[in-house]
Amino acid sequence: MNAPDVVVVGAGPAGLAAAATLGRHGATVTVVDEQERPGGQIYRRPPTGFTPASGPAAAGVALLAEAASTPGVRWLNDTTVWAVLGTRAGLDGFTGRPPTPGRHRVATHGPDGVHLLEPRAVLLTAGAYDLPVPFPGWTLPGVLTAGGVQAFVKAQGLLPGDRFVLAGGHPLLLVVAAQLVRAGARVVEVALLQHHRDLLVGPAGLAAVASGTAKIAEGIDALRVLRRARVPVRFGTVVRRADGGPDLATVTLAAVDRAGLPVPGTDRVLSCDVLALGYGFVASVELARQAGCVVTWNSSAGGWVVQHDDWLRTSVPGIAVAGELTGVAGAEQATVEGRLAALGILPDLGLLDTDRATALARPVRRDLRRQRRFVTHLLDRFAPNRSALASLVTDDTVLCRCEEIRAGDVRRALRDHPHLHTANAVKLVTRVGMGPCQGRSCQPAVCQLIADETGRTPEQVGAFTAQAPVKPVPLAALAAADEPAASADLIGIDEP
Amino acid sequence: MPDRATPTPPPTPVRVGLDRPDPITIEVDGNPVPTHPGESLATALLAAGYRAVRVTAAGARRAPYCNMGVCFECVVTIDDLPYQRSCLVRTRPGMRVHTGTDR
Repeated sequence: MNAPDVVVVGAGPAGLAAAATLGRHGATVTVVDEQERPGGQIYRRPPTGFTPASGPAAAGVALLAEAASTPGVRWLNDTTVWAVLGTRAGLDGFTGRPPTPGRHRVATHGPDGVHLLEPRAVLLTAGAYDLPVPFPGWTLPGVLTAGGVQAFVKAQGLLPGDRFVLAGGHPLLLVVAAQLVRAGARVVEVALLQHHRDLLVGPAGLAAVASGTAKIAEGIDALRVLRRARVPVRFGTVVRRADGGPDLATVTLAAVDRAGLPVPGTDRVLSCDVLALGYGFVASVELARQAGCVVTWNSSAGGWVVQHDDWLRTSVPGIAVAGELTGVAGAEQATVEGRLAALGILPDLGLLDTDRATALARPVRRDLRRQRRFVTHLLDRFAPNRSALASLVTDDTVLCRCEEIRAGDVRRALRDHPHLHTANAVKLVTRVGMGPCQGRSCQPAVCQLIADETGRTPEQVGAFTAQAPVKPVPLAALAAADEPAASADLIGIDEP
Repeated sequence: MPDRATPTPPPTPVRVGLDRPDPITIEVDGNPVPTHPGESLATALLAAGYRAVRVTAAGARRAPYCNMGVCFECVVTIDDLPYQRSCLVRTRPGMRVHTGTDR
């Protein structure tokens, strides 16, 4: 049971599509996911026993049904994958016994403790999360990501406040605002960084946009809902700061110039108790990086993305990726990539011959090309202007939420140690990124600050080394693990 | 310095749009908090008026931020086990929760 053919990490669209395709061809698959139920963030459903007025989108319903009815697929929900072990020489000692030849070792932590799965292949479909953008006051209770607010409304039926402001630079904001309005919330304003003219579609873009009509329709529908509810949608606007004592009470919005910088003298103060931030997404590549997969920098596609060949195989033999890890592109593309990655894995398992896989992949690749055309066009329009956003950070702004390290601390470290210029070196000196979130919240802003201050590129600054466990595991769970030699130095945080 | 995340006065968040199992009560910092079994602990806390769910070592109030298990801002101590992400944990009868500083 702990040695399936394939372990899929993440039960979103890519993972579901891959599991269904793999299972249909006779592979045994274990899908590991942190949520109670499969679906990922996009097809997130209410808890078991809760009945929603409406379910996920039709595409999601079909995909969930297809995956659920596929034989050979086992679902490990409520479970975190905290390491892929044995792919790098230095990590081989971690589990106390030699690896089984031809098998990977995937370390999990769930309701029944810590386990090691030993699949023949690993597919990472961990998705993405909202890009954290620090500014003064962003740690106040009441400041959430747009995805977080959406999850409360969609899956928990909770309006997490009374007066909502949504701000950022991603079309998701419009969709979330419309969902809030439909649920009866008071939306004070939606503020988008982009200027009107940035969003005009020329003849060159029309063909690309035509291949993504579902997304466009969703956006237009959201705008209609907001207009009917008289919710102001402001373009060329940024949220500059959040204030309140002890919790969020007001936000300060400012107009931005063509470069995306706040224009002095244009401040407006709105009162609200929830601020939802949506600046785009970060690909969840930490597990891939921990496993040793080569990543490349692609700012508009989510920062660091995993390098892969045309079967979505990474630089580490036996590990493939699909969905947002290859570049943030949304559910439709993730679904297609999930199927393609599965067809790439099946020949290695001896369950499909290569010619047949190639033939089956042909229509999938056609789909993928169409998806990519649309997404590339969209990404260009909504790419975060990282330097402009970094200008919102004051010395007093918290960058690392876990260790409470402020931008001033990082700037001082860079001044005091002129040789510092990498993310890892700054981490060692300042403790940024050393908390339980392992830098997921602070890395983009810290790296941008280092790049801006030292005049270096994101590639030169690099990322924090992704270490096992990529998410904290209690010592007690490790001690009780089915692997006797799982040792204390696996722990990334101090036990209280 | 406060050592726990006390709830703030209304208006508190409201539950909408779902048929839920019958309510139960869990214990938060020794106080009863109503919840529907199976909803996320973060939801139960926000709905009970806890705008913050923990206090940092430096005394800052913090609350759910990503609400999907990434940021660890909503961590609380549940049945003596620290660092539990309240956005991922579902409420159940007999649950004892401690907000506030955890180190």
